[in-house]
Amino acid sequence: MTSTIESAMNARGPSASTATVMPDAAPQAPLAPEGGGKEIGDVILDVKNISLSFGGVNALTDISFDVREHEIRAIIGPNGAGKSSMLNCINGVYTPQKGTITFKGKTFSNMDSYQVASMGIARTFQNLALFKGMSVIDNIMTGRNLRIKSNLFLQALRIGPAEREEIRHREFVEHIIDFLEIQAYRKTAVGQLPYGLQKRVDLGRALAMEPKVLLLDEPMAGMNLEEKQDMSRFVLDINDEFGTTVVLIEHDMGVVMDISDRVVVLDYGRKIGDGTPEQVRNNPDVISAYLGTSH
Amino acid sequence: MAFFLETLLGGLMAGMLYSLVALGFVLIYKASGVFNFAQGAMVLFAALAMARFAEWFPRWTGIQNPVVANVAAFLIAAAIMFVVAWLIERYVLRHLVNQEGTTLLMATLGIGYLLDGVGQTVFGSDIYKIDIGMPKEPIMAFEGLFPGGILINKEDLYAALIAAFLVSLLSLFFQKTATGRALRAVADDHQAAQSIGIPLNRIWVIVWCVAGIVALVAGMIWGSKLGVQFSLITVALRALPVVILGGLTSVPGAIIGGLIIGVGEKLSEVFLGPYVGGGIEIWFAYVLALVFLLFRPQGLFGEKIIDRV
Amino acid sequence: MFYRENGQFKTTYRADQQIFPIAQDRWAVLLIIAAAFLVVPMLASDYMFRAILIPFLIMALAALGVNILVGYCGQISLGSGAFMAVGAYAAFNFFVRVPGMPLLVALVLGGICSAAFGILFGLPSLRVKGLYLSVATLAAQFFSDWMFLRIKWLTNDSPSGSVSVSGMQLFGLPIESPTSKYLLCLGILVVLALLAKNLVRSAIGREWMAIRDMDVAAAVIGIRPMYAKLTAFAVSSFIVGIAGALWGFVYLGSWEPAAFSVDLSFRLLFMVIIGGMGSIMGCFFGAGFIVILPIALNQFLPVLGALLGIDISTAGIAHAELIIFGGLIVWFLIVEPHGLAKLWSIGKQKLRLWPFPH
Repeated sequence: MTSTIESAMNARGPSASTATVMPDAAPQAPLAPEGGGKEIGDVILDVKNISLSFGGVNALTDISFDVREHEIRAIIGPNGAGKSSMLNCINGVYTPQKGTITFKGKTFSNMDSYQVASMGIARTFQNLALFKGMSVIDNIMTGRNLRIKSNLFLQALRIGPAEREEIRHREFVEHIIDFLEIQAYRKTAVGQLPYGLQKRVDLGRALAMEPKVLLLDEPMAGMNLEEKQDMSRFVLDINDEFGTTVVLIEHDMGVVMDISDRVVVLDYGRKIGDGTPEQVRNNPDVISAYLGTSH
Repeated sequence: MAFFLETLLGGLMAGMLYSLVALGFVLIYKASGVFNFAQGAMVLFAALAMARFAEWFPRWTGIQNPVVANVAAFLIAAAIMFVVAWLIERYVLRHLVNQEGTTLLMATLGIGYLLDGVGQTVFGSDIYKIDIGMPKEPIMAFEGLFPGGILINKEDLYAALIAAFLVSLLSLFFQKTATGRALRAVADDHQAAQSIGIPLNRIWVIVWCVAGIVALVAGMIWGSKLGVQFSLITVALRALPVVILGGLTSVPGAIIGGLIIGVGEKLSEVFLGPYVGGGIEIWFAYVLALVFLLFRPQGLFGEKIIDRV
Repeated sequence: MFYRENGQFKTTYRADQQIFPIAQDRWAVLLIIAAAFLVVPMLASDYMFRAILIPFLIMALAALGVNILVGYCGQISLGSGAFMAVGAYAAFNFFVRVPGMPLLVALVLGGICSAAFGILFGLPSLRVKGLYLSVATLAAQFFSDWMFLRIKWLTNDSPSGSVSVSGMQLFGLPIESPTSKYLLCLGILVVLALLAKNLVRSAIGREWMAIRDMDVAAAVIGIRPMYAKLTAFAVSSFIVGIAGALWGFVYLGSWEPAAFSVDLSFRLLFMVIIGGMGSIMGCFFGAGFIVILPIALNQFLPVLGALLGIDISTAGIAHAELIIFGGLIVWFLIVEPHGLAKLWSIGKQKLRLWPFPH
């Protein structure tokens, strides 16, 4: 496999100006990860030829990659490469000018955030976007909103089915709180929590949606080593126990190499690398993008 | 046809007066990102100050010349508005620097009530006259074109001219002077402006003071026309749709918006009113603004409102 | 010493989620409600009912509605007076035109009409927010002012738009005396406050608060902004409409469109700001404050004036009211944006420690 990639890259010539779709690392069989025991399934999310621009600025140019079920896919790249914009396109926050996204067999080019959420894609945000006026429990409970069925009138009366449903969802949220180890803070207003804990609440809120695909936008940003270890543990556990497919944007190379199954590299809105962490690490385009040579 | 033109012209004049009040809104919003619900109260306060000082000045100094009294009253009122601006910046704005727009909006509501109460306590709550020598007789223009001519109110004409002059002055100020540039920077981003050394506090005092003087001019003209009384505050409420139409960040927008609203109100009242029972002036401007909000919230000339994730 | 939660362990989620988790709070509230129903009618004078208690109850109800829209959902509304007017006139029409219409049904129908009006004028909230939305709500206010003055059918063809209501009864008992009016308002307030509290602690309440805090993130989580905002307008206007109907039927007896002017809208907003945005308890504080302040000033200022040798006229008292309102709004927004309710809960926190310092 490695030699195929290398020879393909050597044949391509100068990268930046003529960058088009990279020939994918083409494993036909499910990958067997080093840890053993994880079955990576078929392609669940397929991004094809996405182009996004704001006014004159091209945020993304012709990006294509796929994400397989149960894998941990990292998106890396220097600042301003368009990683968050990519997630925003998947999420329906931005509408790309060109390209389509296929999720679980359904293709769409123009989705709104609510539809994407109800289809099973959840995300965390780089700048948290938590509901500052509410407690931790309430924040995570908002993630259950899609699954709450009782209507306005039942909720007003709060008897019988409405009360029972609320309790059921509360139980689920408590499991998440236990999982993320934030029990002590459940009734605190999130605005008062330290940054690291707020990030966990953000993660918890996304988890509450029981997503099939979890998009994490720089979950380790601003954390120290211990906090990163905790967060990595959570991400691995989520992937392991719940089988959730994870797409994460991350700057810490150590984390990316350690926990991800496959990596996509973006630079200036274009894809310059796609493959396992090892492959990407040895990709000269990726190296020059990060270290910077004459562009 | 002549009647239509008369109504149109009358509307244009009335619109000019709305523009004057709207200018104050735009100025403060442009330079501090705050929407000043107290603008109406400022108009009333300034007008009250001028009316009363014009009355008291001869009594205190013995100089009976009305022109002198008016000029002196104007200057004193302007000075008072400067003090008001300073107080507002010092005790309210400074403490609310990075709060969201909603909080600031409600704070200006509170300031409005304060000004209203203080103004009426200090200056009294009767109806006062402002007499700045505006001619009250109408003239009949275009007598050659239309039989009998078109009725134009001279007072409105003068008011429109004053307003136009003020607007050009302000536009020049914003575009050409360094202070004007600084004001625009502050409107864009408080913190960024502060970080490059623009003295936020001083800028805000300047802006509110200028808005206060605009309010004074507006109050002077409205007061001369209607008499200075409490209802001036509601006039300001009528100027709100003007800024929606014209765009909250645009000085020319305030003018055009004011003219459109003024004309629209008069025409709709005269031609539509009889079908629906009359009196639609009170909501016409607002419903027009509502329609704009649904389809073009930034108004005719404003900047597009962008919401970032 | 008294206000401790020691020993109050919650073993079920239901217990943890109840409205008043601390037993002392539960007892206190139950006592207050019982006293309000049983004790107050025995002690209060007619003047107390007419001038203080009844307006307080109705204004608290209106503040409840406004708080749901402004405090919980973050949509600024300067048109609450219009919603009260729609509720009042709609209830009036149902009451007067339909023979044998029960009072409560008329009130509820008035609330429903107001909810429809609220949804209509709440549509701009799907496009704009903040200041721009407040202008849209002002449009509702002025339109309603005109509507009830000029459209004769709405006011049963009364020439000046003024209407009156008489002969109210509930389950056969006449509602004539101040005591009966007070009990009617109290009952409606307690029921609606309970329903409102249930709503704000349920999923819909969380949706509202999510929209208030960050509406873009809310959409990504699976909250539909349109549903959340329009339901906020609907529920808020329903409650405000019923309050308006009570204001007309019970407090004023006969009214004209000017009774529901923009001044009332501002007053309601101030109640919510001073009382505490996003707090049911705050509505009561705010309403109490705004209702009692003019009366207190009326009694107090002339005395103060006499002491200082200044003669204070009624106009002077009205101006003092404006100054105090304005000053307090600014003060609260700077010092404690969450209003009296927050000060109250800070007080309670301190009470939990009392008499110990920490």
